[in-house]
Amino acid sequence: MSKPKVGIFGLTGCAGDQLAILNCEDRLLDLVALIDICDFSMASSHPQRDCALDIAMVEGAVLTMRDARQLRAIRQRSATLVALGTCAVWGGVAAMDRGLDRAKLLEEVYGERGKEYDSCAAQALHEIVKVDHNITGCPIEKEHFLSAVAALLNGDPPLYPEYPVCTECRMRENNCLLIERGEVCCGPITAAGCDARCPQLRIPCVGCRGPVTDANTASALAMFEEKGFDRQRIAARLRTFAPVGVGP
Amino acid sequence: MSTIVIEHLARVEGHGGITVELEGDTVANVRFDVFEGARLLEPLVRGKRYDEVAPILSRICSICSVAHSLTSLKATENAFGIRVSPQTELLRELMFRGESIESHALHLFLLALPDYLNYPSAIALAADKPAPVLLGLRLKKLGNRIQETIGGRAIHPVNAVVGGFGKAPPVEELIELRSSLMQAVADGDSVIDLIASLPATDFCHSDTLYAALRSPNLDTYYTGDEVMVVSNGNRAIVNAADYRSLTGEKAVPHSTAKHSTFRGSPFMVGSLARLTVNPRRLMGKLAVAMKRLKLQLPADNPMDNNKAQALELINDVERALEIIGQLLRDGIKDERAIPVQPRAGTGAAITEAPRGLLIHSYTYDDEGRVTAADVVTPTALNAASIELHFRRAVEQCADRDEAVIARRLQMIARAYDPCISCAVHLVRMR
Repeated sequence: MSKPKVGIFGLTGCAGDQLAILNCEDRLLDLVALIDICDFSMASSHPQRDCALDIAMVEGAVLTMRDARQLRAIRQRSATLVALGTCAVWGGVAAMDRGLDRAKLLEEVYGERGKEYDSCAAQALHEIVKVDHNITGCPIEKEHFLSAVAALLNGDPPLYPEYPVCTECRMRENNCLLIERGEVCCGPITAAGCDARCPQLRIPCVGCRGPVTDANTASALAMFEEKGFDRQRIAARLRTFAPVGVGP
Repeated sequence: MSTIVIEHLARVEGHGGITVELEGDTVANVRFDVFEGARLLEPLVRGKRYDEVAPILSRICSICSVAHSLTSLKATENAFGIRVSPQTELLRELMFRGESIESHALHLFLLALPDYLNYPSAIALAADKPAPVLLGLRLKKLGNRIQETIGGRAIHPVNAVVGGFGKAPPVEELIELRSSLMQAVADGDSVIDLIASLPATDFCHSDTLYAALRSPNLDTYYTGDEVMVVSNGNRAIVNAADYRSLTGEKAVPHSTAKHSTFRGSPFMVGSLARLTVNPRRLMGKLAVAMKRLKLQLPADNPMDNNKAQALELINDVERALEIIGQLLRDGIKDERAIPVQPRAGTGAAITEAPRGLLIHSYTYDDEGRVTAADVVTPTALNAASIELHFRRAVEQCADRDEAVIARRLQMIARAYDPCISCAVHLVRMR
């Protein structure tokens, strides 16, 4: 049986999810024994640009017309499309405050030339094409990438925690930064899967994995308000990494 | 007129290409095209509180996320007049070494090496010759382990905050790290053997200006605030606060990266520049290795940056061992980050990211909210120099064979180890 054909792509972003794949140092050679990575520009100078793909993994957000064209072309040639990382799933940091006047910002940064650049407000992949699976995280956990590949090779959907960071944090028996220290911790509404990495280090969660399924944002906001935090500021913080997912 | 176009430069981070226009035998135009989308993160951090800035701006780039994060913290601390503890300085320097080891190993073995050995990728190379790829992966993993142990995560570190760290690493983990680093010392010899065995890359010669952080007494990527620019024996010093004199920049139509010059001349930053500006580092083992690599400084060949990265790779391992030795001797303390008292003002910081000089500068209001942010990245600083070296390589290719030129220009671009996600972030806010 021929190996499944896989493409790994980066739209606009920091390439951190592709790097997380390359960071699977001990498994990389096992991985290429199982799948045929036939289009991965960050790692290979001879990509097969036209072949049909069984699985496409796409990181980054759509920030240019070029990104949008590339994403549509990837969708067209791929049986399964996986959004890789918070930018692809939720828009990520480039999408925060996307209501701001982009043309004005571009001009402020690049002067008159700014008008000539190919640029649009950041969008998550699902706003442009159909996405089959999401692996969130900024960056993704490399173990999640490996388990997703394993699941997809078996014909199963990749599954991830449907509970908040708080659950993992309690299991690690940390003191609560929000309740006990009055810090703005986004743990109550952020998707778990990081093993509460930040609160474990006494650092409040910044919400980099995006909201948990059925996040009770209203109740979290009420809790923050009860602690005396300004509602607007908190809402802005919750939207930093997941601007597309969280309502106003 | 004929044109050579490389649509998508592969085996680099981000989205870039190369265009060369020839008129007869004359090189009319060369361009390093950058078509990375502008994320405009710097204007987007305006209004954010000081503790939100580093986590947002580290997202400029994954490969240099430690450098972005720690340079951001240093700029904020400078703005607020915070002096971090000696332990914090050592731990941050150690994170820089971890990032440099990971980044250089990734670049040398997985991105650059396939060119020298005529393979499209390290994956294809590994099928025939696994040893060099496994060596690179081993070193890369070690660099990541340092970043994970100190920073809490290999990409986008979480543990470093304004004023210090969330938690200091446990002694046992530092001891484990030390034994992994000691094993890597032997790998250092294999790195030099391998790089010394590669075919010569003798197709681009040019007088080159070099700029790097100057550290007269200390081998450092993080501490210090003076940049030295070296050209043909001439030296100039630029202070962190005057960093704008390094960035006589202009926006160019083919690129979302602005181009920088120093007094009108392009300059190179990165490993080769660091060794040129701080030659005193090159003693003992490094001097022997340098001879084996046939590297002479100042170099007139940008491809020598690969050799300089190999030398830094072994130096970084030794420097990391020294730092861990000192931390263990002094005893690691469970320090809390220094409490922050925001105040209005501006702070700038310069460090050495794996690809060269990185500058962050912020202005804060008296509540500790950003009113202006400015980030100058190594690849943006290098962009003009990359084009200059493209031009020289085309001029020096006697028969103007298109395939040969295309191959050489891609190798030059990769030797700079460009990070194009970073390059678009040369931004000034008023």
